[in-house]
Amino acid sequence: MISPPRSIQGRLLAWVLGMVVVVWLSTAVITWFDARHELEELLDSHLAQAAALLVVQQQGEIEDDRHDLDAPTLHRYAPKVAFQVFHEGRLALRSANAPAVPMAAPGQSFRAGFDTVQIDGLSWRIFAAEGGEQDVRVYVGEQMSSRMEILWAVLRSTLWPMVVALPLLALAVWWAVRLGVSPMRRLGQVLAQREPQALHPVAVAGATVEMLPMIEALNALFARIDQLLASERRFTADAAHELRTPIAAIRAQAQVALAEADDLARRHALLNTVQGCDRATRLVDQLLTLSRLEAADATALQVVDLRALTQSVLAELAPKALGKHQTLEFEAPEPCFLPGNETLLAVLLRNLVDNAVRYSPPSARVTVALHQAAGRVVLSVEDSGPGLAEADRQRLGERFFRVPGSLESGSGLGWSIVQRIAQVHRLDVQVEPSTQLGGLAVRVTGADCRIRP
Amino acid sequence: MRLLLAEDDPLLGDGLQAGLRQLGFQVDWVRDGLAAERELRNQAYAVAVLDLGLPLKDGLAVLAAVRRDGVSVPVLVLTARDAVPDRIQGLDVGADDYVVKPVDLQELAARLRALVRRAHGQPQECLQAQDVLLDPAARTVRQAGTLVTLSTREFDLLQALMLNAGRVLSREQIEQHLYSWGHEVDSNAVEVHIHHLRRKLGSGLIQTVRGVGYLLLRDAPTSP
Repeated sequence: MISPPRSIQGRLLAWVLGMVVVVWLSTAVITWFDARHELEELLDSHLAQAAALLVVQQQGEIEDDRHDLDAPTLHRYAPKVAFQVFHEGRLALRSANAPAVPMAAPGQSFRAGFDTVQIDGLSWRIFAAEGGEQDVRVYVGEQMSSRMEILWAVLRSTLWPMVVALPLLALAVWWAVRLGVSPMRRLGQVLAQREPQALHPVAVAGATVEMLPMIEALNALFARIDQLLASERRFTADAAHELRTPIAAIRAQAQVALAEADDLARRHALLNTVQGCDRATRLVDQLLTLSRLEAADATALQVVDLRALTQSVLAELAPKALGKHQTLEFEAPEPCFLPGNETLLAVLLRNLVDNAVRYSPPSARVTVALHQAAGRVVLSVEDSGPGLAEADRQRLGERFFRVPGSLESGSGLGWSIVQRIAQVHRLDVQVEPSTQLGGLAVRVTGADCRIRP
Repeated sequence: MRLLLAEDDPLLGDGLQAGLRQLGFQVDWVRDGLAAERELRNQAYAVAVLDLGLPLKDGLAVLAAVRRDGVSVPVLVLTARDAVPDRIQGLDVGADDYVVKPVDLQELAARLRALVRRAHGQPQECLQAQDVLLDPAARTVRQAGTLVTLSTREFDLLQALMLNAGRVLSREQIEQHLYSWGHEVDSNAVEVHIHHLRRKLGSGLIQTVRGVGYLLLRDAPTSP
């Protein structure tokens, strides 16, 4: 069972109020103990002082011999305070509320100092004192309940404001928390009001520092989805746009073949139809490759043996080069290893070498070299073909850009693919005139990974 | 009918050239924008098919340039750019029709014929002058309801004269209408074709304006 989502505001409110109550209560407890301690010390000292006073006074007044002189009740607290003065074991003086027997625990010998005893079911705090010659004994007592009353009064004064303030505090905290979480509520509203397909970044006025990572993560996600959708849309548009021409060609050629009476001309048109289909197929393949690459962000990187990979790609393309009587050379003094995706790197290599072979005239030279220099792997593909004008080199990699006047059929996507793969692998691709062969030189540079499998 | 085809794609260009030829057009094929502009300025084409994504100079730029210079050849833009703004821009720059690839050859030919017809102020598909009825789509000619068999050149010549009915066409103009590139034109070829037409359709249809050219009258001259 899934518990219903809890509100941050409710939780904050409960926590803050709970904390306040706990702190307040512990303050009250501490106050209680502290006040009791101080109160006891103060009152005990009063008892002791009163006893000392009585002892001194009694020693001077023994001769008066007024045993039962009851002290008058002078204060409303007076009934709660009592004293007894014994002279040589005889009760010499006592307050009206004091018993005739000594205010000490029954059956106990005289002991000077403080004691707590039960008298007539009431708890008394007693201070007993003796005169210098041990003939005068004074008991001064105080009802414990009076002390409790004072303590309770102290505690009440501590707790009362709390009881009154708690609802007000709750209201204030509720309001403050509500104010505090309002940016989050606004974010919720902003998100709820968004169109489902809206992908623009979320902006919340007064977003807090705590919310920023969330909003940033959300916006990064939106941006990524937007990018993916844009690349999907671009792919669809590109595919629709770029397939139109080959399809138009196929259709025109097929219609020509249908209407053609001459066998040779019909055969020519049919061959062109097949060629058109091949071209459309290649275009679709490349568009799909590019589309997958656009979506690929962090490809699974493994250690790729670039020398072996280049060799296999060259072996694949060699027949085509030989068919044009071109010389295809590969030079790699030592194995090179690059972190990357083998399939994608093969596509990159194939595109580079295929371009060199395709756009170089018959009998041209194409050389591929793989070197290591200063921790970098450098792969270069050079040809003795016609090369490229500066302006055209700049435009390489624009989707569907085809060098004007080039007779070879091409989709104009090869370079987009090369650049995208290079980007994914953090490779640097440079195109410049070849100093050795006079044609085009493409240099791919990447960080060497020295891990040897 | 002489037609300029500007298309850089080799397969599509080849297909359109062959297909339009089958449908009776004399097709000249250029593969880049500069060549298209040059040909449009210098040659008298009945109609042009222009791709937009041309190398060296974009089709729209070519169109804008020749229109600025007063070239009024009807132009059909044939392109892969199908967005509405592209169509609007194409038509605004001076295209007479805008067709998105791929296109049916028959439809393309029909659109081209319609463009030619409209350019000559002809509302109907068939051209009529006096008792002669020319059907450009079927490439047939009837005189008073009877089918008259004409050679390709004769048909094209008659069509050119009928499209320009009431106007004198010089021999050079007629040659430009009739022959695409690479054809050696005999100096008296036009005279020969006129002669054949007169033999097949009667001598009253086509008038000779000595030293100027030939003229076809839409209505038979009323005898005084």
